[in-house]
Amino acid sequence: MTMTFTPLTPNFAAEVVGIDLTRPLTPDQVRAIDDGMDRWGVLVFHDQRFDDETQLAFSRNFGELEISSGAEMSRPEENRLRPEMADISNLDVKNKLRAADDRKRLGALGNRLWHSDASFRAIPAKYSLLSARIVPPSGGNTEFADMRAAYDTLDEATKAEIEDLITEHSGAFSRELIGFPREIYGGEFQEKLRPVRHRLVRYDERTGRKSLYLSAHIGSILGWPIPEARAYIRDLTEHATQRQFVYAHQWKVWDLVIWDNRTTMHRARRYNDLTDVRDMRRSTIRGEAMTVQQAA
Amino acid sequence: MMIQPIQPGFVGVVTGIDICQPLTAPEVAQIEAGMDSFAVLSFPNQPLTDEQQVVFSANFGELEIPLAAQMMAPEKRRFQKIELGDISNFDGKNTDKLRDREDSRRMYALANRLWHSDASFRAVGAGYTLLHSRVNPTKGGNTEFADMRAAYDALDAKTKALVDDMIVGHSIVYSREQIGFEVKGDADNLKPVKHRLVVTHPVTGRKSLYLSSHIGEIDGWLIPEARAFLRDLTEHATQRQFVYSHKWEVNDLVMWDNRTVMHRATRFDDLKERRDLRRTSIKGVGLGVDSVPVQQAAE
Repeated sequence: MTMTFTPLTPNFAAEVVGIDLTRPLTPDQVRAIDDGMDRWGVLVFHDQRFDDETQLAFSRNFGELEISSGAEMSRPEENRLRPEMADISNLDVKNKLRAADDRKRLGALGNRLWHSDASFRAIPAKYSLLSARIVPPSGGNTEFADMRAAYDTLDEATKAEIEDLITEHSGAFSRELIGFPREIYGGEFQEKLRPVRHRLVRYDERTGRKSLYLSAHIGSILGWPIPEARAYIRDLTEHATQRQFVYAHQWKVWDLVIWDNRTTMHRARRYNDLTDVRDMRRSTIRGEAMTVQQAA
Repeated sequence: MMIQPIQPGFVGVVTGIDICQPLTAPEVAQIEAGMDSFAVLSFPNQPLTDEQQVVFSANFGELEIPLAAQMMAPEKRRFQKIELGDISNFDGKNTDKLRDREDSRRMYALANRLWHSDASFRAVGAGYTLLHSRVNPTKGGNTEFADMRAAYDALDAKTKALVDDMIVGHSIVYSREQIGFEVKGDADNLKPVKHRLVVTHPVTGRKSLYLSSHIGEIDGWLIPEARAFLRDLTEHATQRQFVYSHKWEVNDLVMWDNRTVMHRATRFDDLKERRDLRRTSIKGVGLGVDSVPVQQAAE
């Protein structure tokens, strides 16, 4: 079997066939996937019948695993899955649908805003790998936006203006955008909400391309008044998420989608989460470096 | 008088009339009919004085007193006419000085870069707004308009059913909060007022989405869920096919109907360049948005 990459939009996101990811991979196969990620930013694989064990084993091919922020911001007995597995579901620890006012449900609504996973960490995520175990009958798509194309299409004045801008990211900022207070979102884990700094423009040495490092977790730009920073980030996000930069993924059970958080944003779309089950599991690869020196 | 649409059914350019002069009743009726059809009318090359803008505006109803003027001591007001809203980046009466980067009036005005409907935070929102251009920057500073009738029509049947009877809460606090600017106090005019999300135009009978960044809550919904939904809806409603972007020329007068369009300002280099527009607004009394049940509006 050889792997075949078929573009899902002209320059962004590809579907891959001809590989069973639940089995051990050869170094050549891993390299082909890494190259595909550099080229397409998002890769879609169908019919990959992972359990948590095999998903984590496959994920380790690409680097060190992150502990999910959900696990970091809760007690072990509150979690359905192991700490390396982010629980992207609407189920509680007893596999029951979460109630409307469930704190985790409300926090997860922040995923409906365009973001880059773990951009609130000093060393943010590289790849996210999301496996669909149960999908709702309608809604619940994940949309991906190409931050390299978004950068490339900025006018020269904007490119010059943003080249050296430093932004501050926190999981609290994205929740504040939907009116979910940091006190409730963070609970007893407020220190996890401390803002970290990143470059707004990232440069990728492997591909020689720049990308916009945007995320709903951004709350300020260093040296700017807050309202001006937020209005500007909104404008940039609107530019960056125009339909021509977006691929919308409609999930089927056993899909695995990998995206590169350094070059893409993504968001979840609405579904009837009080009545339909959606069970997705995400493993996340830690990035290799900070984008800027962090303040002490 | 001639009205030429810019987009099918949306935004008309009006020529062949001098609005600096008093209007006849048929002319007023023709402009109102144009507003019903096109929601936004643009009158190029109308060198109005402040007085003349107020006189022209008064053809369409009772003028609102801007919130900022209400809250400002008379000696600090830039214009003699209290009905005139100051949409400039000047440091008050000193028109040679631009507002500083941290100026709180500037912070407050930055929320105009969010899509909104004027005065939707009042129990009765604005009907028409009229904006007259005096000075423009060399680049940027457009005003964009989005057609909330077309946006409503383009919703799928399920979403229409979901929003048709929705009641939402508007406050100036909510729009400022979205860009991290806290409006403090417990003044009555900061308290959320309730409006229907879907309103029906009294003349045309067309439905439209009465959206605004001043909305922060939906009756019966949890706040985060309401805000995520309103963002989705606003994104739908402001897709490019529903939007007209007006690049200002000096002496343009543009008027729009806040019941059927949202608008926003786009960025310009406001620390270096001058921009001066003057706004008049007509109270929306009897114009449709007060179709919210009175007891709810009064809550």
